[in-house]
Amino acid sequence: MTGFVIRRLLAAVPTLIAVLTLVFIIVRIVPGDPALVILGDQATPEAIAALRTRLGLDRSLWAQYFSFITSALVGDFGVSMVTGRSITAEVAAVLPHTLDLTIASMIFGVVIGVPVGIWAALNRNGVVDVAARVLSLLGLSFPVFVSGIFLLLAFSLHWRWFPVIGGADLADYGDRLHKLVLPTVALGLIMAAYITRVTRSAMLASLSEDYIRTARAKGVPWRRVVWVHGLRNASIPIVTVVGLYVGILLGNSVLTEIVFNRPGLGKIIVGALNQRDYTMLQGLMVIYCFLIVVVNLITDLLYGVIDPRVKAE
Amino acid sequence: MRGFRAALLGSALAIASAIGFNTTAMAQGQTLRVGMAAQDVGRLDPHFAVSTIDRVVVAWMFNGLVRFKPGSINPAEIEPDLAERWESSADGKTWTFHLRRGVQFHGGYGELTAEDVVFSLRKSGTAATSAFAADYRAIETIEAVDSHTVRIVLRENIPSMLGILTNYSGGYIVSKRAVEERGDNFVRSPIGTGPFALDRVTPNQSAELVAHAQYYRGAPQIGRISYRFIPSDASRDLAFQNRELDLNYGRGDQTWVNRTRQVPNTVVDVFEPGELAILHLNTNQPPFNDIRIRQAMAHAVNRSELVRFRGQDVAREAQSVVPRGYLGFTNDNGLLPADPARARALLAEAGHPNGITIRVIHTQLPEMLNMMQVVQQQLRRSGITLDLQVVEHATFHQQIRQDLSPMVYYSAARFPVADIYMTQFFHGRSRVRTPTAVTNFSHCSQADSQIDAARVSTDIEEQKRLWAEAQRILVQNVCGVPLIETLLVFARRDNLDYGYELKGSMSLGPLITEATRLR
Repeated sequence: MTGFVIRRLLAAVPTLIAVLTLVFIIVRIVPGDPALVILGDQATPEAIAALRTRLGLDRSLWAQYFSFITSALVGDFGVSMVTGRSITAEVAAVLPHTLDLTIASMIFGVVIGVPVGIWAALNRNGVVDVAARVLSLLGLSFPVFVSGIFLLLAFSLHWRWFPVIGGADLADYGDRLHKLVLPTVALGLIMAAYITRVTRSAMLASLSEDYIRTARAKGVPWRRVVWVHGLRNASIPIVTVVGLYVGILLGNSVLTEIVFNRPGLGKIIVGALNQRDYTMLQGLMVIYCFLIVVVNLITDLLYGVIDPRVKAE
Repeated sequence: MRGFRAALLGSALAIASAIGFNTTAMAQGQTLRVGMAAQDVGRLDPHFAVSTIDRVVVAWMFNGLVRFKPGSINPAEIEPDLAERWESSADGKTWTFHLRRGVQFHGGYGELTAEDVVFSLRKSGTAATSAFAADYRAIETIEAVDSHTVRIVLRENIPSMLGILTNYSGGYIVSKRAVEERGDNFVRSPIGTGPFALDRVTPNQSAELVAHAQYYRGAPQIGRISYRFIPSDASRDLAFQNRELDLNYGRGDQTWVNRTRQVPNTVVDVFEPGELAILHLNTNQPPFNDIRIRQAMAHAVNRSELVRFRGQDVAREAQSVVPRGYLGFTNDNGLLPADPARARALLAEAGHPNGITIRVIHTQLPEMLNMMQVVQQQLRRSGITLDLQVVEHATFHQQIRQDLSPMVYYSAARFPVADIYMTQFFHGRSRVRTPTAVTNFSHCSQADSQIDAARVSTDIEEQKRLWAEAQRILVQNVCGVPLIETLLVFARRDNLDYGYELKGSMSLGPLITEATRLR
């Protein structure tokens, strides 16, 4: 097991380097000069040149690349070109918020999506199934910037249960949980809709298998057939989807972060892109890639837990 | 199942009531909560504060030798700040400033001395340590005469010597010791003498400021400022309606103003400086190297329609290539009136009887894109088709400086003296793609001699005459087509009293002073 984890992590190193190289090249190909963004529109070429020198942008691309890769390998991502703040500190300040939202949305999505998906599969083409399919389609079609505003109007402005401004003090767990509720619902509903549909299909496929018929013929109680034999065999696609979705949520929850005024990785990535903050983008990509590798690793390990044949392989 | 549902509902309600609370009950005290349209602050070294979000907050933390009277941007109302008095030589080239005694820096950095002033102004004038170095080119020497006296000698006269020493851009005074001690960290932990000091910045969330108890004008009545970064207009407005904000950055459009005025206990402030939007026409390249096509453009634009689109309260028609109210502004420059028939005739005369198509690079920034789309429709009525190439904002700024667009829509406010605007946008030295480039996209240089002569003149009436002449020349040559001026908008709770009447603010946001209070 430990050997497997180490091998997987080592195998991720070339992927990381490839992604970093791509990011390094792409951010420099895209038009837009960070020095101009920092100095504003009244900057003279002399001031821009001075700042480019200070930021190291006047060095050859090879020199910049070499220094970036060597620093990244020892975990030093430098400082933001725009704010001058340490990238590691900046990411460390927002990462807990991103993880809070991602994990809470995942739990919300699984807790709602899996039971509803199973219920729909068990009532195929019945009222429950049609309702689940229509609602899940609605959930998938509703962008978070619409559902988020509706949630804020109802629960913040009308009932005044939750504040509009999101980000909480990390040490204040009550406040943190309080401010997590609405964004979790907004983002979790989309995830729940997705998981409902996947669970329904996977359960339908699983319930039509021979081993289900055998289990029923042996007199195994229906509840056990569904939850143990059916769901366990349907879990691989569900875990795959959850794993993929968690990866997406880590960097793509930017709309949720903006609507609910939460700090987060997605918001930093968009800000860094707009401001052509090369160092911040590069640092974020390293961290983001690492998180994706970890999520994939956990997903793979879960496969082994769900299906012993995978572990044996 | 019914039992499960009841339990679930019960738990949800219990959790909601346990962790929920009425947000209006949050204590307001003397903490001012400000909502700003931004993801984060940038560099809080005032000499690098170029964006609106940075300018607004550094104005609360720093002072200049002199200052605009709070609530005003009128250079005639500049008053003493860190300098309590000053005198200048007869030729206007030597200025001596006498500093106020007992002014304390934040964080125990001691009393302000002439050394801090000399250090700050030298820093402002150095390209490597300031974004505003070009404004200080005329300064030959700055020296400390004694611990509280500073002498500045100019190479040549400039239109507003006091202007570059105000609480604006490079005029802010920083602590020499803090800059030297903190080095690169100064951009995120700045030390000034203003009524508020930076407590901390929480990335992506807020900048927290605390009152500077030793502020020389007296301890501020507001104890803390929470400067929240809320990029979504909708969310910021909801937070304001929900009474989570006392002061909210507004949008320069009438719909927003009208809607916000309906919010109970709310005041909407509309104030100067107006950002003047101009279509800059590249007179060096086809098709705008033909003045008839430039004149056709000018006749094709209808300014009153643009004002109606943006809103009567927040916008006004441009009258010159210099914004209204700037020292030296004149409104009788012969701007061509809206006349689509005349525009078509001029196009035909220039060899385009069937109209003309012009490819223009423009930003995707919504407020600029909306306005350009209205202009696009107006021009279409005169047979001018704009093929808009919409790009991301940073790309737009780079590409227009590479002369890749024959027409550039640019909206800006500057220090309120005609010289600055005309020098940056219409002086030959500022042409883009030259070593001394600023923002001259039209490549016009016809008024250079008038602009240069006015800059060094010591006779204010002569200066005004030269600036008026320069404006007439630029308008007659149709170097640009002035469109509208858009004013700044903020909304506040009616219990927030600035302590002065807000008519203008060079920091682009309300100045929070020692007198500002929440009633």
